[in-house]
Amino acid sequence: METKVIKQDGWRLFARTVIGRAYPRVVGTLRDLNWLFFDVFFPLVNMIGYVLTYQALKAPQEYVGFVVLGGAMSAFWFNVLWSMSTQLYWEKETGNLSLYIVSPTSMMAILLGMALGGMLSTALRAVVILGIGTWLFHVQYAVTSFWVLFAVFMLMIIALYGMGMMTASLFLLFNREGWHIANLFEPPVMLFSGFYFPVKTFGFWPGVAASIIPLTMGMDAMRQLAFPSGEATGLLPVRTEIIVLVGLCVFYLLAARWFLAYMEKLAIRQGKISDRLS
Amino acid sequence: MAEQVIFDKKPGAWRTFCVSTWLGWQIESNWTDLFVFLIYSIVWPLSRAAILVVMYLVIRGADFSNPEFVNMYLGNALFGLIGNVVNSVAGGIIEEREHYRTLKYLYVAPIHIPTYLVGRGVAAMAGGLLSLVTTVAFAAVFLHMPINFGQINWLLLIPAMLFGFIALVSIGLFLAGWALTIKNNPWVLGQSFSSLFFFVSGAVFPLSVVFGNWEWPGYIFPVGFWLVLTRRAIVPGVGHSFQMYTQLSDLQLLGLLALYSVVFLGIATLTFRMFDRKAREEGMIDMVSNY
Amino acid sequence: MYAIETNKLSRIYKIKKTRKKPASTLVALNNVDLTVGQGELFGLLGPNGAGKTTLIKILTTILGPSSGTAKVDGLDVEKEAAELRKRINMVSGGETSGYGLLTVRENLWMFTQFYGIPSNQAYPRIDELIKLVGLEEKADTKCSDLSTGLRQKMNIIRGFMTDPQVLFLDEPTLGLDVTAARDIRQFVRGWVDENKSRTLLLTTHYMVEAEELCDRVAIIDKGRVLAVDTPEALKATIKDRSIYTIVVNRLDEDDFASLKSIEGISSGSCKQTETGCRMELAFEEDGVINKLMNFLSERGSSIQTLHKREPSLEDVFIKLVGRSLSDAEKQNGN
Repeated sequence: METKVIKQDGWRLFARTVIGRAYPRVVGTLRDLNWLFFDVFFPLVNMIGYVLTYQALKAPQEYVGFVVLGGAMSAFWFNVLWSMSTQLYWEKETGNLSLYIVSPTSMMAILLGMALGGMLSTALRAVVILGIGTWLFHVQYAVTSFWVLFAVFMLMIIALYGMGMMTASLFLLFNREGWHIANLFEPPVMLFSGFYFPVKTFGFWPGVAASIIPLTMGMDAMRQLAFPSGEATGLLPVRTEIIVLVGLCVFYLLAARWFLAYMEKLAIRQGKISDRLS
Repeated sequence: MAEQVIFDKKPGAWRTFCVSTWLGWQIESNWTDLFVFLIYSIVWPLSRAAILVVMYLVIRGADFSNPEFVNMYLGNALFGLIGNVVNSVAGGIIEEREHYRTLKYLYVAPIHIPTYLVGRGVAAMAGGLLSLVTTVAFAAVFLHMPINFGQINWLLLIPAMLFGFIALVSIGLFLAGWALTIKNNPWVLGQSFSSLFFFVSGAVFPLSVVFGNWEWPGYIFPVGFWLVLTRRAIVPGVGHSFQMYTQLSDLQLLGLLALYSVVFLGIATLTFRMFDRKAREEGMIDMVSNY
Repeated sequence: MYAIETNKLSRIYKIKKTRKKPASTLVALNNVDLTVGQGELFGLLGPNGAGKTTLIKILTTILGPSSGTAKVDGLDVEKEAAELRKRINMVSGGETSGYGLLTVRENLWMFTQFYGIPSNQAYPRIDELIKLVGLEEKADTKCSDLSTGLRQKMNIIRGFMTDPQVLFLDEPTLGLDVTAARDIRQFVRGWVDENKSRTLLLTTHYMVEAEELCDRVAIIDKGRVLAVDTPEALKATIKDRSIYTIVVNRLDEDDFASLKSIEGISSGSCKQTETGCRMELAFEEDGVINKLMNFLSERGSSIQTLHKREPSLEDVFIKLVGRSLSDAEKQNGN
């Protein structure tokens, strides 16, 4: 017990924290196989419901592909909403938040770790949903450039998790109401981000307004890059959408940093990190 | 002499029912702010309805008075009630056991647990009806659907709602008992059945879309009868054009719904007792399941 | 340099108005001046709601003071929080930190990463501490499967494994069984004794814990520090008094209140039991016992047992606060 403990700081501490916090998300969730049911079965059933609705409407086969893509991406949306935005509040409830604050690490590293772990574990779910959906409904893709498609996907995910990091701080200030607010946002975002149809349907300006959620432009660009008639259904040219996504990445990551610092200051002043009074 | 205080130690079924309805309402509408609650009960169902509206719009255009779409829209709105009631009763008992950890106290108290759960179902139904009315009113006003409140067949709607409620609560009660005996993720049960009902009840599309010429899956549970009947009652004529149970008259369908609801209530009462006994024997009344 | 130093430290919580009550304020800490030397095991003793946790929160940088200053290891808790966090750690009783799906070892490793401890150093240290507190058999058990006592042992390791200069333990034995509480006390004492550059501040509302463990104790109530000294010195303040535990067959609260007016009784508390009333009384001299017997017989009450004993911290608390610790907790609404 008397051995001298080496404590690294600077970027090493930052990197260790990111990996340390990502660990429970990746290893912990894989250990509990219930995710197969909750994060794959239910989204899959939901997706099948929408596919059959399109089939009942005798929609072109490509729309089935849109639903399968949207179904897979919904896994990321749910992860950001429930495991990022509301996470700091739960961390506070369990007592972890005060331990994070007391530790010498940066809260930004904790949030990045949460995001990284969430991305990795959700990617697996999304791939399973996409694979089963594609196989079940014989979805045909016409990918023009895999690397551009991959880049769009990555930009969308970075911006989306950046938004999750920002809202994590915001929702902490809302306390218990943050959970309700997350609940409130779930279906409207499913609607306006165009999970199951091209967002262009809403018209240009509503589509642009909906692009504040990175999934809107990300999915729009992915539809254009992955389906034969995708270009005709796109809101903006892919190149423009990539620029917007880069802008959203920068904006959300900076905003996350600012809100985090603000939240920490305010929470320390108001005693919101732990509500227990004694 | 000190005043003698007399109280009835065993509250009757009516009191249990009233208290649980009140408690259920408190839980269902657990908002600190009425404004948030109203937004929640409007935004959620409207957004779900809007997804369907936009899907229809991109494929068929803005012809929202088409009977095919009216049936889809109404079925989707009504289906929300099924999830509400079934999950509230089935999930309620697990919520009491694991989230609030109060189930053991309810068992110790001299109340009738199934009555308590029915009370929670009533509260869920009331909350669901608010959302339903909002969604239907939205369709009538903004989508110009041929929904005329003066033309609603109340004589059909009221008994259909009553028997439908009995059927849904019975299913919820059966699942609640079953969930009580499950060690891992008992929450899944209610949600799984709700998902199953979506495909076998003709909520949005007729059974033929899923099962082709087979109609028998629609006869396993009474939820399909209820959805078709309520459509027929709310939009007479339009509701009758929905391609399910077309060979059955309103009265026959109502008779089937009544019969099923009574049978399901009987099954639920018996099975709940059986599951309850098993849960007590295995010490599962106050357990916390694995996640 | 002190390990901990506070100067007129106050914390006032603003309580929002509700439908039933208007907005108000709660003074959790009131002008607290305290110094703790390096190498000390210092105890904060007081009822629930006395302000102990608030003080720990301020000293561990998770709560800002309303006024006054506080320094830990020479660093200002507000202005130099980032540097200070490298040197401290905190463990609270009954906390449920960590993640249930991870094992004890994994949870502990995760927390070492937040302190920048390389894994090749962290793992041997975790294993060493796990062995020391007797958790070897549970090292690879998921945290969700641990009992309260075992979970608290894990929390204790979490606090010690980063080798802090100053460690804060907030009610570390809260809700634990006797054996687990004793193990933790032994471990805590051993850690401080091993290296005199380490400082430990612990809050407790268990008198025995404070008496057994702490080098010095501060008695705190309603946000104020009432006395600070070693347990022996605190008890010595009432050494000139005779302390009796007396059980009488009956004595109501009004009678007990008037009993205090008997000349020579300096302080006391009473607890109603099923068989009568159990009193802890401090007499200025033994002769007061006769006056007490007369007083009791006038009220038709008689002594069932009488026991003279050494003064304890509880008696010091009664003298300072005017009521017993359990009464104080009732008054504070806990």
